[in-house]
Amino acid sequence: MDVALSRNGRRIMRVFFALVIVFLYAPIVILVIFSFNKGSVPTFPLTGFTLHWYHEFLTNSDMQAALKTSAIVAAISSVIAVSLGILASIGLRRSRFRGRGVVTTLVLVPLVVPLVVLGISLLLLFHALGIQLSILTIAIGHVVISLPYTVLILLPRLEQIDVSLAEAAYDLGAGPFTTFRRVTLPLILPAVVSAFLVAFTTSFDEYAVASFLAGPQQTFPLFLYSALRFPSQLPQVIAVAVVVISLTILVIAAAEILRRRVEAPLEAA
Amino acid sequence: MTQAAAAPSRRRRRLKLAMPALLGLPVSWLVVFLVAPAVIVALYSVNELSLFPGPHSFALGGWYRLFHGGFMSLFWKSAKMSLIVSALVVAAAYPLAYFLALSGTRRKYVLLLLLIAPFLTSYLLRVLAWKVILSDGGVINTFLVWLHLEAHGHSLSFLLYSRFAVMLVLGYVWLPFVALPIFVTLETLDFRLLEAASDLYASRLQAFLRVTLPLSLPGVVAAFLFVFIPTVGEFVTPSLVGGQAGYMYGNQIVDLFATGFPDWETGAALALFLIGVIAVLTIVFVRFLRIGEARAA
Amino acid sequence: MDVEGEPLDRRLSRADMLRLAALAAGAGVVAGPAAAADAAIARLTKETGRLQVMDWAGYGNDGGQSMFAAYVKKYPNNKPQFASPMTNETNAYGRIRAGAHPDLFRPYVGWVKFFAQSGLVQPWNPKLIRNFEHLNPFMVKAGQYRGKQYGIPDDWGFDAILYRKDKVHPKSNSWGLLFDERYKGKIAWFDDLEMITIAGLYLKAKNPWNQTSSELKRSVNFLKSKKHVARFNWSSETDLWQAFGSGEVWIAYAWPNDWVQMKKKLPVVYMHPKEKPIAWVGMFMLLKNSPRPHLAHAYVDAWSSARSGKWLEDNYGYGHANVEAKPSSSQLLKALQLANPKAVTLPNAYLDRDIPQRSTYANLWEEVKRA
Repeated sequence: MDVALSRNGRRIMRVFFALVIVFLYAPIVILVIFSFNKGSVPTFPLTGFTLHWYHEFLTNSDMQAALKTSAIVAAISSVIAVSLGILASIGLRRSRFRGRGVVTTLVLVPLVVPLVVLGISLLLLFHALGIQLSILTIAIGHVVISLPYTVLILLPRLEQIDVSLAEAAYDLGAGPFTTFRRVTLPLILPAVVSAFLVAFTTSFDEYAVASFLAGPQQTFPLFLYSALRFPSQLPQVIAVAVVVISLTILVIAAAEILRRRVEAPLEAA
Repeated sequence: MTQAAAAPSRRRRRLKLAMPALLGLPVSWLVVFLVAPAVIVALYSVNELSLFPGPHSFALGGWYRLFHGGFMSLFWKSAKMSLIVSALVVAAAYPLAYFLALSGTRRKYVLLLLLIAPFLTSYLLRVLAWKVILSDGGVINTFLVWLHLEAHGHSLSFLLYSRFAVMLVLGYVWLPFVALPIFVTLETLDFRLLEAASDLYASRLQAFLRVTLPLSLPGVVAAFLFVFIPTVGEFVTPSLVGGQAGYMYGNQIVDLFATGFPDWETGAALALFLIGVIAVLTIVFVRFLRIGEARAA
Repeated sequence: MDVEGEPLDRRLSRADMLRLAALAAGAGVVAGPAAAADAAIARLTKETGRLQVMDWAGYGNDGGQSMFAAYVKKYPNNKPQFASPMTNETNAYGRIRAGAHPDLFRPYVGWVKFFAQSGLVQPWNPKLIRNFEHLNPFMVKAGQYRGKQYGIPDDWGFDAILYRKDKVHPKSNSWGLLFDERYKGKIAWFDDLEMITIAGLYLKAKNPWNQTSSELKRSVNFLKSKKHVARFNWSSETDLWQAFGSGEVWIAYAWPNDWVQMKKKLPVVYMHPKEKPIAWVGMFMLLKNSPRPHLAHAYVDAWSSARSGKWLEDNYGYGHANVEAKPSSSQLLKALQLANPKAVTLPNAYLDRDIPQRSTYANLWEEVKRA
């Protein structure tokens, strides 16, 4: 007997799951449909097929600039967040020191700080210090947001690997840096990659904090939000939406496949 | 660590000492960009720092307005909305996670990924899509007209620019994310406990209520907090689909700081109050979980 | 005008000033002096970087390119870069106070005094704007504070009411339509403290822009009591057009452009209420510490040309301060009274004006929203 679900229960669950999937993807399908719609206002009935909006955004330099800015911000912030995350995870794993609880809490606190509060508090900090808002100020905010995620991904992976491996390397005369580079890093690489991806996508899609910390250069979500405020831009935005969403889903799928390829032999060993 | 302690060597001691030092960078980053800003917010809220040039001194005007300016009822309205959303979302996500974790489906990770993928796509764009679906000339209303279930021009107007719209979209946005922590706790659940319950002639329902549910409670609570905390301070969704009725506490903070006439003093008090409420909630829940864990052990 | 004291003018050497003065005196002689003026300005311009502009949605690269095409052609290395659009003046004020530093931005006429007094802006030098002489003198005057030209007028239009004539039958042409219980849930207000002025206008406050405390209380209570009839407060035209286009709202506070766009698809009326509409004139303002004042002047000059004005009238349905700008459509000309140089003032409309208790109005509007 299946102890978790009866046969009927299983059937009902399957239907429920399917319904939820429909619920989750319907809006995305709607976007896809309207990206090919001739009319410039997204209301029914549809008014004919066109590729015009896709063509428009390919030539929209503001949009491209915003995408580029977002990519830069996401790259900077995810590299910093993952580096800090690695340091924090190794530090937290290896040590039993007084105040460890405080440090753990501090690292995880950004998870529970509402973004609007994080955004304004950083704005006030930069204002008080007289620092001009720029790409860097956004990146700083995004590091704070992604740091706990990177630790949550890296720490469990670090705890899985055998400490004695690192210690063996150490005993064989490898310095701490060499030990890290030759032993620890390869072992946690899949986790590093997924931490990087999570940090990157978080930053790339982040609006709330960026809306407070952006200087003259707009990130893509900021561009989207302001384009949503002006009707003539809407259809193009929907077309980009479809492209961005498809790309995101592709990247996620690829990363997942890659992760399994890499982790499977590790686990088998 | 115990091994290391048992056979200490000079090298190892150095290794051990080096580790807390690794925390130096991440900790100072957070002190500078998380703790210090919070202190600065506090200074603005009592007018020790101010947006406006000129002399200013300690004042509690911002805090006074927070408690006497109608902000509290707005906070309650937002808290209620996000409590309802969190409860419903957790209730919907639980069976999904349960199904994936315990039904023995072979493709559970693929299905899980399918569930989570929308969460990783653009938030703003998904909200935009809902606008298209919910508006008077949108998908739902045109569909109902087509089915002759509603007369032309008598569309369901509560669908958009309402509290309903805000709660629906927030639920939509957070559902995939919430399924994850519940799934993780259920997956690590010791399956033998369920089998034992079954051997002792417990029905599935009994087994669920006595074994699965209590053991997965930490995941449920975490999931609940995962939704409640970001939604109670939410401002993007209500500003896009909330209209008059869906205006939330987070919108008020943004209006005071960014979109309306600047009043950073009151805005800072509002922000700190929000953090305070969330801190208390989180601490209470964590305590509660510890007690639960202790009992389970 | 006291030119010596202005930081902008300090950058001009005496010789250059003389040359410019001579050119100004010789206005009327066409090509020669104009080219010379350009040369003078070009030589004076050692300004680098892209011009930082804070403007409303639809006036940047998102549709407004024609307004500054002439500038981009002349200064390809200093193309304007647009900050995220202003949603209203309070938004711009907050952002500039918080450290945003555009070279220029564009509040409306009711804010000229406010910003001039704020110490954030500096006056323009009209001599550096060739099209200045073609600008409507009444509007030019409205851009002055204590005799200095803090605002350069450009677009103008009205705040009035847009409604669907197939759905809505107003009892009278009045602002009261925004508060009409019969159309509960089909009305959109504007997310701005101006709603308090409008309530004052409707309730016949003595001076809606400077209501007494009892009048303010009455206006605020009135707005609170009528809040349920409004579906949402729009802060972007996307919201408004989407909602109007899909039939979600039938009545809205609106600008002429909204009428121009909506009448393409829907039977709409742009109603001038009997209490009179509120008229506005856009005013470019120059930030005090702008490192690119000459480029800013050149940008505003491009905006001020008759050609830009015609484009604005044809495409957005707004008037333009350049009196030589005429739209292609005579219907538009008539409907929006584009030919009437005094369209923005009595007896046609109230020109929007300074609100002395601005922060009180702002707080009260927030109070209405959170009620």
